[in-house]
Amino acid sequence: MRRSLRGITLSDRWFNRLVIGAVTLGFVLLVAVGFVATSTILENQAQTRWVNHTYRVQRAIGRYRGLTERAEAVRRGLLLRTDPGFYDSFYRTTREIEPALAELRRQTADNPRQRLNVAYASSLSRRHLFLLNRSVRLLRDNKRDAAIASFNLDERSPLIWELRRVGASMTAEEDRLLAIRNAEQRASLARFYITLGVAGVLLVLVGAGSLWIIIHYTRDLARSRDELRRLNADLEGAVFERTADLQRANDEIQRFAYIVSHDLRSPLVNVMGFTAELESGAQRLSAMIDKAEAKAPELVDQAAKVAVRDDFPEAIRFIRASTEKMDRLINAILRLSREGRRTINPEKLDMGALFKSVADALRHTIDERDVDLSIEPRLPHIVSDRLAVEQIVGNIIENAIKYMVPGRRGRIEVRGRLEGARAIFEIADNGRGIEPRDHERIFDLFRRSGQQDQPGEGIGLAHTRALAYRLGGTISVESELARGATFRINLPVAFTGEQKASI
Amino acid sequence: MNKHQAVNIIMIEDDEGHARLIEKNIRRAGISNDIHHFTNGTSGLEYLYNHPSGPAQNGPALILLDLNLPDMSGTEILGRIKAENSPLKRTPIVVLTTTDDKIEIQRCYDLGCNVYITKPVNYDSFADAIRQLGLFLSVIQVPDFPEANG
Repeated sequence: MRRSLRGITLSDRWFNRLVIGAVTLGFVLLVAVGFVATSTILENQAQTRWVNHTYRVQRAIGRYRGLTERAEAVRRGLLLRTDPGFYDSFYRTTREIEPALAELRRQTADNPRQRLNVAYASSLSRRHLFLLNRSVRLLRDNKRDAAIASFNLDERSPLIWELRRVGASMTAEEDRLLAIRNAEQRASLARFYITLGVAGVLLVLVGAGSLWIIIHYTRDLARSRDELRRLNADLEGAVFERTADLQRANDEIQRFAYIVSHDLRSPLVNVMGFTAELESGAQRLSAMIDKAEAKAPELVDQAAKVAVRDDFPEAIRFIRASTEKMDRLINAILRLSREGRRTINPEKLDMGALFKSVADALRHTIDERDVDLSIEPRLPHIVSDRLAVEQIVGNIIENAIKYMVPGRRGRIEVRGRLEGARAIFEIADNGRGIEPRDHERIFDLFRRSGQQDQPGEGIGLAHTRALAYRLGGTISVESELARGATFRINLPVAFTGEQKASI
Repeated sequence: MNKHQAVNIIMIEDDEGHARLIEKNIRRAGISNDIHHFTNGTSGLEYLYNHPSGPAQNGPALILLDLNLPDMSGTEILGRIKAENSPLKRTPIVVLTTTDDKIEIQRCYDLGCNVYITKPVNYDSFADAIRQLGLFLSVIQVPDFPEANG
C-alpha cells in the first residue's frame, strides 16, 4: 500500500482511533486494577491482623488454661509433700490467673460468644481459686487431713471438669475462627494474585499497544518526512516538467503559426497584386473619362464618373488598408515563429548590466516621457540566451513606458531575487494598469487591453511569453486598473536545454 | 548551339493568381517567350521530361518553380531536375516562392537552384522583382542540350 502525504485511508484512520482508544482504555483499566490490588492488599492486611488477633486470643486462652492447670497441680503437690517453695509457686500462679482472664476478656471483647465463655470461665475460676486457697490455708494451718478431705470433695465436684470444658470450648471457638480467617486470608491472597495476573496481562497489552502506536507513528512520521523530502526534491523536477510542457505547446503553436502564415501569404499576394492591377486599370479608366469629358461630355454619364473617380479609389483604398494590416499581422506571426526557431545560445548574463543596456537602448523614450527608471543593485546572474532575455525585458519596459498615466510622473522599478534554482525578476510600474480580467488575455496574440490609444498590433507580450517559455521560464502579471502593473519573469538560473519538437 | 530556338519558360506554380501576376509582369519587362504554366508538380515534370515540345526532347528552357505545391514539394522537383543523370541538370531554375526561411533557401541552393527569389507580399515590390527577373531573363544565356540531342 503506497500512501501519499495526505493519503492515509479512512479505514486506517479508524484503525488508529481504535488502537488509541484501546490503549487509553488499557491505561484506565490498569489504574483500576491498581486500586483493586491496593484494596486487596489492605483487606489482606486486615485479615492478617484478625488472624494474629486469633493467635493472640489462643495464646491468652492457653495461658489461662495452663495457669489454671498449674495451680491445680501445685495444690496437689502441696497435698503430697509440704514444700515451702510450693507455696511461693502457688501464690505466683494464682495471682496471674486474674490478669490472664482480664487479658482474655479484653482480647475477646469483639466476640459475644467468647465473652460469654470468658464470663463463665471467670466465675468458675473464682470458685476454683476460692477452693484452692481454702486447701492451701488448711495445709498452712497444718490441717493436712482436713485439706485432703476438702480436696477429695473438690475432686468429686464437676468444677474442674467444667473449667477444662470451658477452656476447650474457647480454644475450639478460636480454632473455628482461625479456620474461617485463614480461609478468608487465602481467598483474598488468591484475589490479589488474580488481580496481579490481570494487571500483568493488561500491562503487556497496553505496553504492546503503546509500542505499536509509537512504532506506527514513528514509521508514519518517517514516511511523511521522506515523502516531504522527495516532494521537495521533486518540486524542481515538477517545475522543469511544467516548463517543458509549456515549451512543447509553444513549439506546436509556433509550427502552426509558421504554416498558417505561409499559407496566408499566398492569397494575400494575389489580393494585393490584383488590387494594384485594378488600381492601375482604374487610373487608366479615369484618364479616359477625363479625356472623354473634355472631348465629348455627352458620352460621360454621372454614375460612371462617380464610380471611376470616387467609388473605385475608395474601394481600392479600403482593400489596400485591410491587406496591409493583414500583411503586418502575418509578418508578426512569421517573426514570432521565426524567433521560436532561432537556436538558444545560453551564456552567463549579468542581469544588472543587461537591464541597464536595455534601458540605455530606450533612453530616448525614457527621457522624452520623463520616466524614472531604477534598477535594484546586485540582481542575480543567470545563464540564458542573451537576445531572448533582452527582448523579454525590453518589451516589458517598453510597455511600461508606453502605458504611463499622462500627468503622473512615470516610475519603473526593476527588482530581482533568487528562489532555489529560479531567478525572479519584477518590473513594476505606476502606469495605467491592467484590469484583472485581462491579465491572461494580454499574453494572447493580437489581444490588447484598455484604451487603444497607443500604436501596436498586440504581439509584444505574446512574443515575450513565447520566449520565456522557450527559456524554460514563465511570465505573469499582477495589476490593478490605474494602480500600475508588476510583470514577473521567472527564469531558471541556468538554462538546461529545451525539449523541442523538431519543425 | 541553336540560336534560333527560343527559350521556353516553364512555370510550375499552384496559385493561378500568382501565375497570372508573374506572367503579366514578365511580359511588361518585354519578355515574349512562351510561358507554359503547370499548377502541380506531376504535370510539370511530365511536360519537362516526356512532352514532345518539352525541354528534354526539344530545346532550351528556363524553369520558374514554386516550392509549395499541392502534390509534391518544390525541393523534390528541384532535386530531380538537378540530379546527376538528369537530362535537364543544366537547365536554369529560378525558385520563386513565399518561403523566406533561411534553411529552405540554403537547401534549394544546395540542390542546385540557380536563383532564389522570395515573393514580396507588397505588390509593388513583387511587380518590381518580377520585372527585374524579366530583365535578367532577357540577358541570361541558357545552355543547349548536347547530351539529350546528341
